[in-house]
Amino acid sequence: MQEERLAIHLRERPSRLKEAKNKGVKIIGYFPGNYMPEELIYASGAVPLCLINGGESRPAEAALSIVPQVICPFARAQIGERLLGENPYYSMIDMLVAPITCQHLKKVAEVWEYNGDLEIFKLGIPHQHNNDFELAYFTDRLRVLKDRLQAFTGNEITDEKIYEAIGLYNRMRELLRKISLLRRTSPSPLSALDFVKLNNASFYADPVFMVDFLDSVYHELKDKQQVAKTDAPRILLIGPNIGYGDNKILELVEAAGGDIVIEEICEGIRYYWNKIESKGDLIESLARGYLVDRVPCAFMRYSTRQRFDFALKLIKDFAVSGVIWYELLCCETYDAESYFFSQKMGERNIPVLILESDYGTVDTGQLKTRIEAFIEILRGVME
Amino acid sequence: MIELLKLCGYSEQEIESELPRVEKAFDKLGITVEDIERGKQRLTKYYDVGLKGVRKSLRLVLRELVDALLARDEGKKVIYGFMAPGFDLLSSALVTKSKDVCSVHHSWAFQIVVGCIFGKIVPILEEAERRWLKAGMVAHCANLKTLVGPMSLGIYPKPDLLVTAGLLCETSPKTLDLYRELYGIPVWYVDACQDRTREEYPEPSMRVASSAAKSLKRLAERIQEEVGFEITDDMLLEVQDAKGKLGEAFNRIRDLITSSAPLPLSPAHENIWMCLNVLALSIDGIAEATEAVNTLYEELQEKVAKGLGVVEKEAPRVLATLPMGQTDPRLEYLACEVGIAIVATDRNLEVSIKGTSEDPYMRFGIGMQIGAMHMPPAMRIPLIVEGCKKLNIDGVLDRYHVGCRAVAGDAMLIESAINKELGIPVMLLEWENFDPRVYKHEEYKKRLEIFKTIMVNRSS
Repeated sequence: MQEERLAIHLRERPSRLKEAKNKGVKIIGYFPGNYMPEELIYASGAVPLCLINGGESRPAEAALSIVPQVICPFARAQIGERLLGENPYYSMIDMLVAPITCQHLKKVAEVWEYNGDLEIFKLGIPHQHNNDFELAYFTDRLRVLKDRLQAFTGNEITDEKIYEAIGLYNRMRELLRKISLLRRTSPSPLSALDFVKLNNASFYADPVFMVDFLDSVYHELKDKQQVAKTDAPRILLIGPNIGYGDNKILELVEAAGGDIVIEEICEGIRYYWNKIESKGDLIESLARGYLVDRVPCAFMRYSTRQRFDFALKLIKDFAVSGVIWYELLCCETYDAESYFFSQKMGERNIPVLILESDYGTVDTGQLKTRIEAFIEILRGVME
Repeated sequence: MIELLKLCGYSEQEIESELPRVEKAFDKLGITVEDIERGKQRLTKYYDVGLKGVRKSLRLVLRELVDALLARDEGKKVIYGFMAPGFDLLSSALVTKSKDVCSVHHSWAFQIVVGCIFGKIVPILEEAERRWLKAGMVAHCANLKTLVGPMSLGIYPKPDLLVTAGLLCETSPKTLDLYRELYGIPVWYVDACQDRTREEYPEPSMRVASSAAKSLKRLAERIQEEVGFEITDDMLLEVQDAKGKLGEAFNRIRDLITSSAPLPLSPAHENIWMCLNVLALSIDGIAEATEAVNTLYEELQEKVAKGLGVVEKEAPRVLATLPMGQTDPRLEYLACEVGIAIVATDRNLEVSIKGTSEDPYMRFGIGMQIGAMHMPPAMRIPLIVEGCKKLNIDGVLDRYHVGCRAVAGDAMLIESAINKELGIPVMLLEWENFDPRVYKHEEYKKRLEIFKTIMVNRSS
């Protein structure tokens, strides 16, 4: 019943947005990675829309007429979606805010900038924040973005509106966190596929609806009768990206009898471990919350140790017995980091399986075999 | 060995005093007698070592490599930079002030000597591929492999500080992060956000310049802690002024090359100048480099006056994207053999700006934004198009370094823009600037011949 409610909302969402657009509401897209405070867009009266479609090879291949294959499939998919013009979300945006994170998404922003058919705001993300001026830089850029959004939408962004937006998104993050924490029990009350779909949906759905919906889901899951214990190995999924629709690995793991109980993903999963402070200078709060008070993505400087320690914490908290490292082809930063993770996890006798995908189907058989073998290994370790 | 050193511009007296050091350094590199023979052959084949200016330039490159390899043995503080614009500025100030510090860019001299001269870079790359820079479709940057390979093989001593910049990539900072975690090597990053917009072009973004300047200043402070003395603004300004003169000398050569037919010098030499520009030269060393380049200029003037060149006078004029092959001069040599005159690269295309700053760090922050290669396509491509018009270019060799997402991502847009706006032929070539394994002689020869035919037919 809950699933159906979300499905209906998402099915109707494009037409609802078009209606809003016809009434003068601006739709503002942004790229994932959780470095763009969507609270600012929301506070401007515009609709924030995180562009996260991925998993299908067609858009990624369409982009090959513009960029080479070394640009990752997710980034190419963003270019391809706009080229193909079939996805309503990608066609309806009035403006793009492009957080400059990895080189791949930076290139997407640059290609769109070059094409010149869309207003673009490049949001510089300092790749470190050890020095005082880096946080100040990000804060300043958010202030400029605020001004730009005000001019673009014609709406004043007051502190009250930002406060309200922070409250709304904090509630969403809190609910996702609470739902995620329910997965510490064995068996997990919802599958990774369901959780990822839920999390992915939070980027497209109306945030007020989403909060209400997540609240219902949380209470339903909390009260759910636990079924008999399972011997499914509990798995941590790490990687750069899970786009909306990139379900192949999740499905293969589930079919092989594995249970992904927690994810540590940069793009495509809403970051929900921390809340944004809603006191003092709210722009500063947003800057700090999105840049500093979080586990960094792999492209950030000095991030490897912090990321590894966080993974260890997740492994402990969620009683994980193995790690699947899922990266997209040509994601050089995560690929380099996987060497460190697999070596250091190995020293702790935590098995790691590294998988790559380019959204194609030719590797499905091989992936299936490797995942099945990995699950068998985990079962052996558990015995 | 002595003959090789002579080809690299070492004087008799210098050979006598330096030979033991060079032998020791070559021993670390695993250079054999056979390698030296091959090195001599490659030097005479790919470089115009008959020109004193080329030999003098090569000498400075080899000297830096030897100094870097022996730095620890000679009791010096060792600081390496890798892909770190601005680092060479600090390095020059450091080595001018103290003989006890070796502060060098890790890879440029190494790539020319081990790659271009001796043709021995592949085992280095393979070593890196056994670490975290695996081979295959992921296309890790082979430039980075020339950092990881020698460090893993113990060719280079472990540094006291390892520096890189995240101005154009994340993969180099990630590698340093892994060095920090796996081997306990202290690391530092120079950063600036890459968020300059089309509206800010052509003037540099003061926001970005200021951010880069602050970041470089923090690096200077960190290095001061390491070396125990101050790097003053005056020291940096002195270096910048000296480098300004070196830059003028390079520009004179480039102007001569682009305005001469036949092409007086193979484009393979371009890398030696690029390397000279980032070597950790003291003020005296920069003067030596300037003198070497000026000597070459005079020699080239003579060649031009005599109508001598490396291709025929009517050879089609080509602009290439990216610098020349950093570890392998064969593509540039082949282009000349086929009869194509690569007269410029987009690395040399710069936008004119209103002015610079009195602050050496801001000068750096501004300067790093004027070159085409550091620009997003909305700025880089118009510069290339204008460059082609200005230089009367017949075709573009649009090669892209597959290991670098920042530049590779522009290649097809460049091709499309050149076709649309200029209608001249474009040869799109996926390659790796730092990996000789991508060189496929027959394929490249055939493609370059066809490219030439199209250009010739079009102009006739």
